[in-house]
Amino acid sequence: MNKVVILVAGVAITLALVIILATGLGKDPQHIESPLIGKPAPDFALQAVGTHETVDLSRFRGKPLVVNFWATWCRPCYEEHPVLVSNAQLLQGQVQFLGVVFQDKEEKIQGFLNERGSAYPTLVDQAGKTAIAYGVGGVPETFFLNKDGKVVAKFEGPIDPDTLQQNIRKAMTQ
Amino acid sequence: MSTTNVSFRVSSLRQGIPQPSFASLRRLGMTLAVILATTVIAQDIKVPDAEQLVGAAQGQPVSGALLDQRTNETAGLLRCPVCQGMSIADSPSEMAVNMKHQVRELIARGYTQEQILRYFERSYGQFVLLKPKFQGVNTLVWILPIIALAVGIWAIFAMMGRSPAPAPPSLADDDDPYLAEVRKLTGKQS
Repeated sequence: MNKVVILVAGVAITLALVIILATGLGKDPQHIESPLIGKPAPDFALQAVGTHETVDLSRFRGKPLVVNFWATWCRPCYEEHPVLVSNAQLLQGQVQFLGVVFQDKEEKIQGFLNERGSAYPTLVDQAGKTAIAYGVGGVPETFFLNKDGKVVAKFEGPIDPDTLQQNIRKAMTQ
Repeated sequence: MSTTNVSFRVSSLRQGIPQPSFASLRRLGMTLAVILATTVIAQDIKVPDAEQLVGAAQGQPVSGALLDQRTNETAGLLRCPVCQGMSIADSPSEMAVNMKHQVRELIARGYTQEQILRYFERSYGQFVLLKPKFQGVNTLVWILPIIALAVGIWAIFAMMGRSPAPAPPSLADDDDPYLAEVRKLTGKQS
């Protein structure tokens, strides 16, 4: 009887460990499930690169918003930049795009934008406080806000056109 | 006479010191204007603040050595999001340094450790807490090792307390039918 109990307990513990490892191994350890989904996006007003104009997030209420955190030292950001710029041009007037750059220098950001083009305000996040409030773990990360300023989706890594449009649709409908 | 002397001295000085041109004065004026404008604009900059997310500070403002100590204690409980299992107190990454600065600033303003952990958890979720909370699936992290230990101790005692299995009855040579058959076939009696 004791042997059966020990065997069952052993099998149960081994099975539990295998399930935990199997599910854990398939996950990206850097992936952070955002607790901000469904909540109001943290408000900010940051200075725009080039114009030095202060851009307040709240002034875009009433319009879906794409907030992209990036930096010039991030190679995947080079890859997604044209996707963001072309979609911002395509959806001008319907969806507002904002770039937020952290851990970077303004001259470098300006150089990047001069070389690769820009279609929306790029803001500087001094001391990374805005990135921290959004739970940014690495760049690029993109947040999608609906017209009420609620976060409806978050994407980690360089975004492709399909994922971008799919999340924009979500921001427009939710 | 004196006027001549003065103008002579001034012109002598002018020869020695490079005089600012109109262009350089204009550049200086523009730089000052930019600095002034930047300062004015900088006042409009607003970053998300702990007060709007976790309310007003519930403790007393702290400074000096106590501030350093509390900063390290609290930073030691927060995971660096760009590292592998390191706290922001130990990580040299810029992200961790920024987070640690924010922890320090909040403690200096009187925020309690519980409020600061809640502030970071609100952005990063429970991922950011190095010590998982006793709730939901996390309960297993706390309970499973205790259960495993209890089961192990019980198994050891169960095995130690068990009486030894009775030895199989020994057969005398004469009672063994196999040996009897062998003896019969070989003709030996002992």
